[in-house]
Amino acid sequence: MNRASFHRNRSQFRLGFWLLLAPIVLWLSLLIILPHVDMVLVSLRERIASRQYGFSLDNYTAFFTEPLYWNTFVRTAVMSIIATLMTLIIAFPVSFYIAKVLSGRPKIALFILCLIPFWVSELVRTYGWMILLRETGLISGALQWLGLAGQPVELLYNDVAIMIGLIYTSMLFMVVPLVTTLDSLDNSLIEAGYDLGGNGWQVMTNIVIPHAMPGIMSGCIVVFMLTLGNYLTPTLLGGKDSLWFTEQIYTQFITRFNWEQGAAFGILLLILSSLIVWLGLKLTKQSFTRVMS
Amino acid sequence: MRSLRYFKKLAVIGAVASAVSFSAQAETLRLLTWGGYAPQDVVEQFEQETGVTVKITLSNNEDMISKLRATRGAGFDLAQPSQDRIVSAQADFNIYKPMDLSKIDTAKIIPSMLAATQKNTEFEGEVYGVPHVWGTSGLIVNRSTASTVKDYTDLCDDSLQGSVSYRLKRPTLIGFAFALGEDPFAAYDNPDQYQAILDKVETRLIECKSNVKAYWSGGDALLNLVRSGEVSAAMAWDAGGWKLNAENPDIRFVAPASGALGWIDTFVLPRKTKAEDAAYRWINFVMQPEIAARITESAGNFTAAQGSDEFVNDTLKTQFKESFPQAALDNINWYPPVPAGLEEMEGKVLDRVKAAN
Amino acid sequence: MSDHAVASATEPRVQADLACTRLSKQFGAFTAVDQVSFSIPRGAFFSILGPSGCGKTTLLRMLAGFQQPDSGDILIKGRSVLHTPPNKRPVNMVFQHLALFPNMSVAENIAYGLKRNGVPKRQHAALIDEVLTKVHLPGYGKKRIDQLSGGQKQRVAIARCLVLKPAVLLLDEPLGALDLKLREQMKIELKRLQQEFNTTFVYITHDQSEALVMSDQVAVMNHGRFEQVGTPQELYYQPKTAFVASFVGDSNQFAATVQAQTDQTVTTVTKRGVQLQCYSELALPPGAPVTLFIRPEVIQVGVCKPDPVPDNCLAATVLRILFDGARSQIQVQTAEGAVLLAALPQTADFQALTPGRSVYLSWQARQGLCFAATSPQHPGAVP
Repeated sequence: MNRASFHRNRSQFRLGFWLLLAPIVLWLSLLIILPHVDMVLVSLRERIASRQYGFSLDNYTAFFTEPLYWNTFVRTAVMSIIATLMTLIIAFPVSFYIAKVLSGRPKIALFILCLIPFWVSELVRTYGWMILLRETGLISGALQWLGLAGQPVELLYNDVAIMIGLIYTSMLFMVVPLVTTLDSLDNSLIEAGYDLGGNGWQVMTNIVIPHAMPGIMSGCIVVFMLTLGNYLTPTLLGGKDSLWFTEQIYTQFITRFNWEQGAAFGILLLILSSLIVWLGLKLTKQSFTRVMS
Repeated sequence: MRSLRYFKKLAVIGAVASAVSFSAQAETLRLLTWGGYAPQDVVEQFEQETGVTVKITLSNNEDMISKLRATRGAGFDLAQPSQDRIVSAQADFNIYKPMDLSKIDTAKIIPSMLAATQKNTEFEGEVYGVPHVWGTSGLIVNRSTASTVKDYTDLCDDSLQGSVSYRLKRPTLIGFAFALGEDPFAAYDNPDQYQAILDKVETRLIECKSNVKAYWSGGDALLNLVRSGEVSAAMAWDAGGWKLNAENPDIRFVAPASGALGWIDTFVLPRKTKAEDAAYRWINFVMQPEIAARITESAGNFTAAQGSDEFVNDTLKTQFKESFPQAALDNINWYPPVPAGLEEMEGKVLDRVKAAN
Repeated sequence: MSDHAVASATEPRVQADLACTRLSKQFGAFTAVDQVSFSIPRGAFFSILGPSGCGKTTLLRMLAGFQQPDSGDILIKGRSVLHTPPNKRPVNMVFQHLALFPNMSVAENIAYGLKRNGVPKRQHAALIDEVLTKVHLPGYGKKRIDQLSGGQKQRVAIARCLVLKPAVLLLDEPLGALDLKLREQMKIELKRLQQEFNTTFVYITHDQSEALVMSDQVAVMNHGRFEQVGTPQELYYQPKTAFVASFVGDSNQFAATVQAQTDQTVTTVTKRGVQLQCYSELALPPGAPVTLFIRPEVIQVGVCKPDPVPDNCLAATVLRILFDGARSQIQVQTAEGAVLLAALPQTADFQALTPGRSVYLSWQARQGLCFAATSPQHPGAVP
């Protein structure tokens, strides 16, 4: 190949490269980067008078000085972490069963069963839970019918209801990465674990879980982010004490017309949740690239 | 740099193309309104008579303002915020366009209401709103379980533990302020005084929290709570109360002793309305008495259309009379325009109530 | 039953590290392992050789405890282990793909079993060093698994098991993934390790060369049964069944009919009408269809007719020369049209051999084996 054609080939390659890259760059810049830049700019201004705004950091200091906002965030983060861990605890055996015990048709069937709740919208799913849990709902009625409760029981509008809703909503996002990583675990590794003297628990902690760690972490990250950013479920199921940080952002934007504060909260949510994810990865000694690949 | 210019060119072409395609279509009226204010049969009749297509988006006060703010007054041709929420929004966000009253058949509108709305929606010498539907918020009470409830503060009675509902929004603050013997409307222009009232209300609402089953946000959710018996007394709109009353006579709408809160929903033009003519035609159309009566039946509230009462069915009229004897009618506290900045003070109170245990 | 032809038949419980009696396993209608009995003396290298699907893997997995037999018993050092779970059995397994734990270093892989078996932690380092030295990987403890070559991984997999001093080490075709050269080295290495650790090895493979090179005893398995158990030499020179004769080593095979039998010498006629003398321990009635097995290396190739004429002598033409160094062969065609392979003698006479040359093939009757062609494959099963 001579020099000229080499150059031509290279420039062709580069054109193709940029053409292929264009949609993702456009997508990233138009839908992700630009809105966030705008959010940062909005969050850094303050209403001085009608239609007049000035630069200010007040929106950020408000978050740290007003215990209400800070507490709401901490509560949201703690609840999300608990929900994530509970989802993991429930999803892991399910995923293990799907990936390692079942095969063929039942495996696909169970997998689809996990998927079915996602064929309806989150709103419908949440209303479903409300129908079940409310005072005049199915579970309360069943408890009374069985004689286990003397009067209607209110199961809705508390943190447990929020937890149930969040876990239910997150289940699939944990099961999918777990099944994928567990599927990739060679059965002979498990057998070797037993063969060399390990019992079920030791094989699980020494072999299965370390192998599934990237899947566990990617599932946890997705579930944590979804939970933290969830609006409907905590608001509808939590009732008067729901106090969710996204609800606060929504309120600032929509009912208070305080875009500046809302934007600052949005940016803070982004930074703080990224920080929590980063901490989680550090604590479990996982690298982000490995988890996400 | 070149790519940026190219991008700009593309954007211009796109915008022009979409504008052309818009004008090529039949005229469309994009209406931002409340549930029940534009019933299907009324829309169909209007479309038949004028050839204008009506596209409806359901909303509420805050949502309307937020939507119009986000687009700086574009995306809709006619909106229906409450009269007290127009001036401050216009002052802050410049999202509305002044109304040309000469294009409106004002003879069809009850003069006192038209005058009140004109006064309340005037900003920098221009009028922005004309009245459409009016109503009140007060108490929906199930007489079999909560007969003691006569005023907002009665919702905090110990006997109603866990069976009360209200919204965590400004009407609740105002209602409680009146029930606590204050006049928040008089304090609108005095932030310190208003803050003092709010503090009082805040304390009360926090004390009252254990009585609350859930803070309602959607009207249907509230109706379900009352219907199922899970909530026996709530602060809500009159129309909802009358609707429930038709299903269960024990449930009634009660004008609180300290006065129901009166609101008027209006018509306003978003600043970038694209179908101004159609918007005026719609206003004049729905102000015809028999059309207005149909809207009253759909929305459950009376309109500002002159003489439409005659066409409204008797049930609604009876319910109205039952809820509003003359004294209660005179006692209605009509919302004056909200000065800018008040809502931020209220917001902090609402946040604290929500967070309290 | 030929299965019992194992070294010593007397009281296997005392001497054998591993013994099985009438072990069976069904998968639905398919019989994977069918009434297999054997015992392996202490310190032996025992191979189970068979084609894929013959049931050898199932057998091995039953020994390891991953599968429960339907009937029969497994004794390790004289004690039944049927109700012992795999993690409690004094056997360890080297898996086909080794199954080294990728998230652990070499030392951690070895320490895993030590920990699980309750070896005090302070002894770990010494034991790991010792076993790594024995497998010729001293100082490799800190390496990650993915830093090792194929052969090194093999050694770690074996070290990981042997450090636990199992009564029996099970090996499931561990050399399958290696390239040819390395496989040759590892065969010798495995044999060396087995002798050094003096542990009983049970090695399953479908590769006859692996089985023959390394084993003290080989069991040839087919259709869930042991066709024959014996030393590599016995299997090679005295196969007891047609399957063993065809599976172990290369053979020229001919379908033929028995003409007569005197003692153990059988006179047969091939389909093409050639009369051949061969050997059979079993009585074969005249007219019975048989299959003849003649190994390429027993065939004497000569350019002139040998004198005296041996039991079998055929004139043939060289078709082609299959040069493979010391393992070179020639393909020849007899006057009757039968095609045979014969080993190419490594002498100067044959270096100039070219296709088309006439040669004479000869061998003694004792060197050709014949088995009844339609005879049941398991003599014991049919009365």
